[in-house]
Amino acid sequence: MTTLHFVLPDGSSRDVPATPGHSLMETAISNGVPGIVAECAGSLACATCHVFVDEAIASRLGGPEGAEDEMLDFAAVERRPLSRLGCQVKIEDWMDGATITVPETQV
Amino acid sequence: MSDFSVPGGQPAACPFHAAGANHEPFRHEGMYEFFASVRDDVPVFYSPQIGYWVVTRREDVLATLRDHESFSAEIATQPITPWPQKVLDYLKERNFTNEAVQVACDPPRHTRIRMIASRFLNVRRFSFYEDALRKLVRVYIDRITGLDEVDLVDAIFYEFPAQVVFLLLGETDFDPRKIKKWGDLRLNMVWGKPSESELELAVHDLADFWDYACELVEARKVAPGDDYPSFLLARRDGDDAVLTENEIKSLVFGLLIAGHETTTNAAGNLFLELMKRPEEWAKIVRRPELVANAVEEGLRYASSVVAWRRTAKVDVTIAGQDIPKGDRILVALASANHDGACFDDPETFDVERRNPREHLAFGSGIHTCLGAPLARLELKVLLEELSARFPDMALMPGQEIDWTKTISFRGPSQLRVRLRG
Ligand code: HEM
Ligand code: FES
Repeated sequence: MTTLHFVLPDGSSRDVPATPGHSLMETAISNGVPGIVAECAGSLACATCHVFVDEAIASRLGGPEGAEDEMLDFAAVERRPLSRLGCQVKIEDWMDGATITVPETQV
Repeated sequence: MSDFSVPGGQPAACPFHAAGANHEPFRHEGMYEFFASVRDDVPVFYSPQIGYWVVTRREDVLATLRDHESFSAEIATQPITPWPQKVLDYLKERNFTNEAVQVACDPPRHTRIRMIASRFLNVRRFSFYEDALRKLVRVYIDRITGLDEVDLVDAIFYEFPAQVVFLLLGETDFDPRKIKKWGDLRLNMVWGKPSESELELAVHDLADFWDYACELVEARKVAPGDDYPSFLLARRDGDDAVLTENEIKSLVFGLLIAGHETTTNAAGNLFLELMKRPEEWAKIVRRPELVANAVEEGLRYASSVVAWRRTAKVDVTIAGQDIPKGDRILVALASANHDGACFDDPETFDVERRNPREHLAFGSGIHTCLGAPLARLELKVLLEELSARFPDMALMPGQEIDWTKTISFRGPSQLRVRLRG
């Protein structure tokens, strides 16, 4: 089973089960991880599913591209090098144990 | 379900048929009660009065809004009551070339334009306006301070959102009442049941309204500023493949409606529900940190957009109901927002509700309202400022609430309160 480690803005953290093929956003929402809003339900239209991935994910997947990259420019919390939109990152087996950090706010 | 797939061919005792027969799409009195009475048994029904399939449950509404491959949004701004040829001819004569650019167009065109518009219409840029918004609200509040009674809609909610749109457009000297009047007319022309003579009158104003949007864009070509039309013109940089000039004019024209009618109504709805419940109002006064949640609960409990439209691009099935390609669908956002499958005790207005934000008042999917963060900011500032200044505000007893009469938009046309309790 794949487990993801979400770190919340208050410093607390949560381990949640994840299904390969689902997105980080879907995993967070279905497990009740707070702080991921996902107003457009994964349609790449709202930038309210902003997360910071870990170095391992960033180096293996590369950075955001195209529309995702553009939309990160106006996420509510300023983007950083590890920023991604959670609805655009599909979970894969090798991500087991990865750390995903939730920003202070999405709106 | 094949028995029910032919509109009109349903047995009279069947709940699907009864729902269709009892659906009064233009009537706001009793709308929530109607949906509460059908939602459990009838996820989808055909409404013969308008010729639309009506989707009542949150899950199905969300799935429909998310699936832009199967559902087209092109119908979203087409007149519910078709316009006579005379009206169309007149618009042509007046060079009314407004085209669908956002809410009523599909990918790839929608994607191209949304990626540009959202570089201006986004939470980051909106947050720069917070101080200006607060100042504006305070001016309106100062005007009513000292009065005993006031109609909040007339005194503040009607104009304030239009003033905010002017901020975005860089307009400093224009009568907000004029924009409001144009907006009201357009809403009635598209989403209402206007008579032919009403249409023939309104169409002159519609053409004037379009001319105004065009002139505004022309003026920014000559003297650009730090505003939405200037931003769009700069992005275009003369390249029609990016955006055409007519598309920019249509975007400005669109914002002149989308940006205020809904927010005026949302403010009226929110304050009406609070005023009806002095104990909920008192909570806001005592604990202003509840404001953001109360704003969401207002949007959930009494959405200012109660229904939105799509067309089936292919044969689809919604909640077991087969719907053929080309048929029209009305997603009942108001009903979705009272769906007990998502919201505990859905008919209760509760400013401390756990999950009001799961409402669909702003739609969802690729067309999710681009102004949502701004509307939220406006409502938050209004609630913060009014509750701080008039903590004892109370509803004037015995008033009849009169609603706007369109299929999609809901808001009280007046809301009389006593400012000092
Ligand atoms: C409480 C106030 C408001 C409500 C309830 C509201 C509601 C909606 C809804 C239901 C949609 C269609 C969503 C869909 O098809 O899924 C929409 C789209 C849109 N709204 Fe709003 N809106 C509000 C305020 C605003 C404001 C203040 C602005 C502009 C500053 C705005 C700009 C837009 C735009 C541009 C679209 C089209 C987006 C697209 O098609 O890509 N709205 N809104
Ligand atoms: S959920 Fe809207 S962009 Fe990811």
